[in-house]
Amino acid sequence: MPNPNVPLGAGAKPDSQADAVIAAHAGAPGGLLTILEKLQELNRHKYLPIETLKYVAQKTGTPLSQVYSVATFYSFFNLEAQGDHTVCICRGTACHARGSRNLLNNTKLMLGITERDSEKVSVTTPDKHFTVRTVACFGQCALAPVVEVDREIYGRMNERELRKVVGKIGE
Amino acid sequence: MSKQVKLKIDGEYVTAEAGQMVLEVARANGKFIPALCYIDGLKGLGACRLCLVEVTGIGRLLPACTTPVQDGMSIVTSSPRLAECRKMIMELLLSERNHICSVCVSNGNCELQTLAAELGVNHVQFPYRYPKLPVDASHERFVVDHNRCVLCSRCVRVCREVEGANTWSIISRGINAMLAADLNEPWGGSSSCTNCGKCFEACPTGAIAMKGKAVGENAKRAERIARLVNARGGAQ
Repeated sequence: MPNPNVPLGAGAKPDSQADAVIAAHAGAPGGLLTILEKLQELNRHKYLPIETLKYVAQKTGTPLSQVYSVATFYSFFNLEAQGDHTVCICRGTACHARGSRNLLNNTKLMLGITERDSEKVSVTTPDKHFTVRTVACFGQCALAPVVEVDREIYGRMNERELRKVVGKIGE
Repeated sequence: MSKQVKLKIDGEYVTAEAGQMVLEVARANGKFIPALCYIDGLKGLGACRLCLVEVTGIGRLLPACTTPVQDGMSIVTSSPRLAECRKMIMELLLSERNHICSVCVSNGNCELQTLAAELGVNHVQFPYRYPKLPVDASHERFVVDHNRCVLCSRCVRVCREVEGANTWSIISRGINAMLAADLNEPWGGSSSCTNCGKCFEACPTGAIAMKGKAVGENAKRAERIARLVNARGGAQ
């Protein structure tokens, strides 16, 4: 049931792809999660703009506050545009003990990211070419430190190897 | 009429209706169990953990507000172990944000302050976090001061369950959790808020306060929520 109280955002044009996703999953238990996940996947920059959240709220009749609460609870959902390539560095205990903080800092240095807050889950370069993310654990602690570059997992990573892998993408 | 169950609270036999929560039954029988997130008329949530009780036969402590009564249950509502746990929980709550009573609009009318005093909290053993949090004064009648919020989510639930406006929600998680209106917009610009003031009445601290009112005038009347719910024919 569309909620008449929620106005469509300025940038929210009727979107047939989004409508299909919403129609397929609206009303099902956990449907909101699936909708948000698929819409993020459809987005060119792999994120959920505010307009999309408003559109989903309006089309599914979910309160805006609830949509926003779900989108911010899960670190999988991005509210900011993501880079074309993702470097995901594990900050779990095993990887930390084997030097993942240095890997993280070096990656940021290499890509020219000045954000030094290691608590931040995701930072993107200004040219939107790279996003550096952290994750709590990949579940591959025997291979620590673990780094994921564009959905490929690299175990027993060191700075030189990572530089090579990231450098290859940057070319 | 629903099924009756018999249980023991602090050694006394009491009768309750099946489906009632331990906290409700204990309070109806004159027992004191501290609680911040529980409010008469709304569903229990188990967020503040102050209402922990001992249940015989279960090693861990259970929150009384979300534990349904069972036949033959035996509950202890006060013991040295509980007192210690509740005190520590209260200290953690106080260390999380900037609870400075002397400059608070709810000083003297605050459930957090009253409970802390009742639990015997005279110092906090944890380092204060002193987070830098915003104050949202964009609403014409109310102010939200996130420094005083304990994330009990009473306002969220009263807005959803009683008013039906769904303006509030808790966004993010863990230590970054925050109260937010709609899409984390200024409250004053919210399209769903009906300006009803139920969140103000439900708030246990000075986090939601009325503008232009002195400390005494800002006293909350949380019992109004229960009265309203009962007048509408009880909780759904």
